[in-house]
Amino acid sequence: MSETVIALHAVKKSYQDTPVLDIASLALIPGIYWLQGENGAGKTTCMKVMAGLIPFKGEIVLNGNVSSRQHPVQFRRLINYAEAEPLYPSFLTGRDLLELYLNTKGGDREQIRAISEKLGIDVFVNNPVSSYSSGMLKKLSLLLAFTGNPVLILLDEPLITIDVQALRVLYDLIRSYSAKGVTFCITSHQPIDPAELTLTGTLKVAHKNITLN
Amino acid sequence: MRTTIQILQKIFTQRFYIQNTGFFLVLFYLLFGVVDGGNLISYHTSLMLGFLGSYTFLLIVLLLWGLYALKCVGFILKTFQTPGYDFLYPTMGSIPKATRGRIWLLLHMAIYMPVLVYAGIALGVAVTHGFYLPAVIIVVFNVAMCIWPLLVYERKLNHPDVLFFTGHLQRWLNRHFTKPPLLFFLYELFTNYPRRIFSVKLFSAGVLWLTFFLLGQMEFDLRGLQLGIILSVLLHMQLMLHHRSFDDSYLNFVQQLPVPLWKHYLRVMGIYFLLFVPEMVMITINAKTSLPGLLTCFAVAVSLLVLFRCLLYFSKVDAEIHLRYVLIISFVVLFMILGKYEWPAVLLLQTASAIIFLAKYRTYEPLPKMES
Repeated sequence: MSETVIALHAVKKSYQDTPVLDIASLALIPGIYWLQGENGAGKTTCMKVMAGLIPFKGEIVLNGNVSSRQHPVQFRRLINYAEAEPLYPSFLTGRDLLELYLNTKGGDREQIRAISEKLGIDVFVNNPVSSYSSGMLKKLSLLLAFTGNPVLILLDEPLITIDVQALRVLYDLIRSYSAKGVTFCITSHQPIDPAELTLTGTLKVAHKNITLN
Repeated sequence: MRTTIQILQKIFTQRFYIQNTGFFLVLFYLLFGVVDGGNLISYHTSLMLGFLGSYTFLLIVLLLWGLYALKCVGFILKTFQTPGYDFLYPTMGSIPKATRGRIWLLLHMAIYMPVLVYAGIALGVAVTHGFYLPAVIIVVFNVAMCIWPLLVYERKLNHPDVLFFTGHLQRWLNRHFTKPPLLFFLYELFTNYPRRIFSVKLFSAGVLWLTFFLLGQMEFDLRGLQLGIILSVLLHMQLMLHHRSFDDSYLNFVQQLPVPLWKHYLRVMGIYFLLFVPEMVMITINAKTSLPGLLTCFAVAVSLLVLFRCLLYFSKVDAEIHLRYVLIISFVVLFMILGKYEWPAVLLLQTASAIIFLAKYRTYEPLPKMES
């Protein structure tokens, strides 16, 4: 049996007094997952909880031994997240952010430089993000999600905004990282092309819970 | 039918004077309201003769005019960056270059007009009284102040993506250096809210200046200086609220970085230490105290700043509640200082802020904005 990459135990999340997530238990083995759900179902909240971006009740364990509660730093090293609509301080350059991620998360700089070139980010990486289009911002946030040595990468709506060429590069990256054992959890309202990615499973967010099909 | 220049005057000139009504009211009061009406002409003639007869005074006047010219340039560039004004690029870009040059000149002169009028009168006085060299300096300076902005406007039109603060130097810095997280908030203030940081620092310097002035009337007492420092720290409150809002809106991604809590805490300490550096310099120069005395003052100031910021890691603490707690803490610290318990106060402040930060940083979540 494959090892569990991520396990959620009694994870609950509320906004004020309104519960939005109540997941008793969920365990995922390595692979590529499509996280589905209607608008407002809690997909992004679920991803932010998994990424350790927002507080929640319960516990998430990565690789069977890295706990979100007991090992917060190691936990953040193993999980990366790219937002659907990334927002960064206007005065920062793409390079500022990239260096910050590489300095904290680590990883192979040369590999990231190669991805940056493939996505065409190297052309504008020294400019402040205030001058970026939504597509350029999206590409940058996707690149940041591949920094370090993650075991799980969460991609929130990665298929929107970017151009066809970048989409092809992204599919290539997901395939190659997945082959190296990295797990992906992708939200998308667009169907994921089965010719491009072989899905391990589909996660459905509904009624505050996540079910694996 | 309206001409192009009429429409552009409406966009630039009218908006400039409307937006700066307060500024001009204060300026007019200072220039014309503080003197008895009967003595107004002789007052201004004396003022003009004063700066025409002294090159140091003239330099100060030119500096003020130069600052006003910068304000004009900043306004026009900011208009181009304001959402909804994107149409200026294709429309003004379609005007023949020579015509556009004349339009730039008219627009700039229209908002630089107050200086031109005053400088024109001063020129008349200079010629009448035989101050020919100052007259030439005034003419050359004002011609320069009307010419160089046109080049900046033209450049802005051709490089829409270049912001006011991102010139060659900024782009060179961007290529060769990366900004550490410690400086993110300071960059935010200096690039997006320069007025806010400068006004806080101006008032803070004013409070400290007043403190030193009052302390000069009596025997120097470190406790008196520390009272001034507490007031100066209180003036930074709006920056702390801004800091929280900036973190909430833009630095969400920092939470996801694998950085230990103590490093995040050191970053917050560092931000407020750097913010208070100008005051520290001012205190070091003016305070008649020893090094331990200075260190005590700085430790009190930074500890207060950090604790006041940490209070905002309680999601439900809004500006009003924050003010209440800040004032209570300030009073307690003030009494401890009066009782010469400065270092115990610092220890308490540091312990409280560290406990709050370590307990709340990972669990902090901004409250959703309420619909009005």
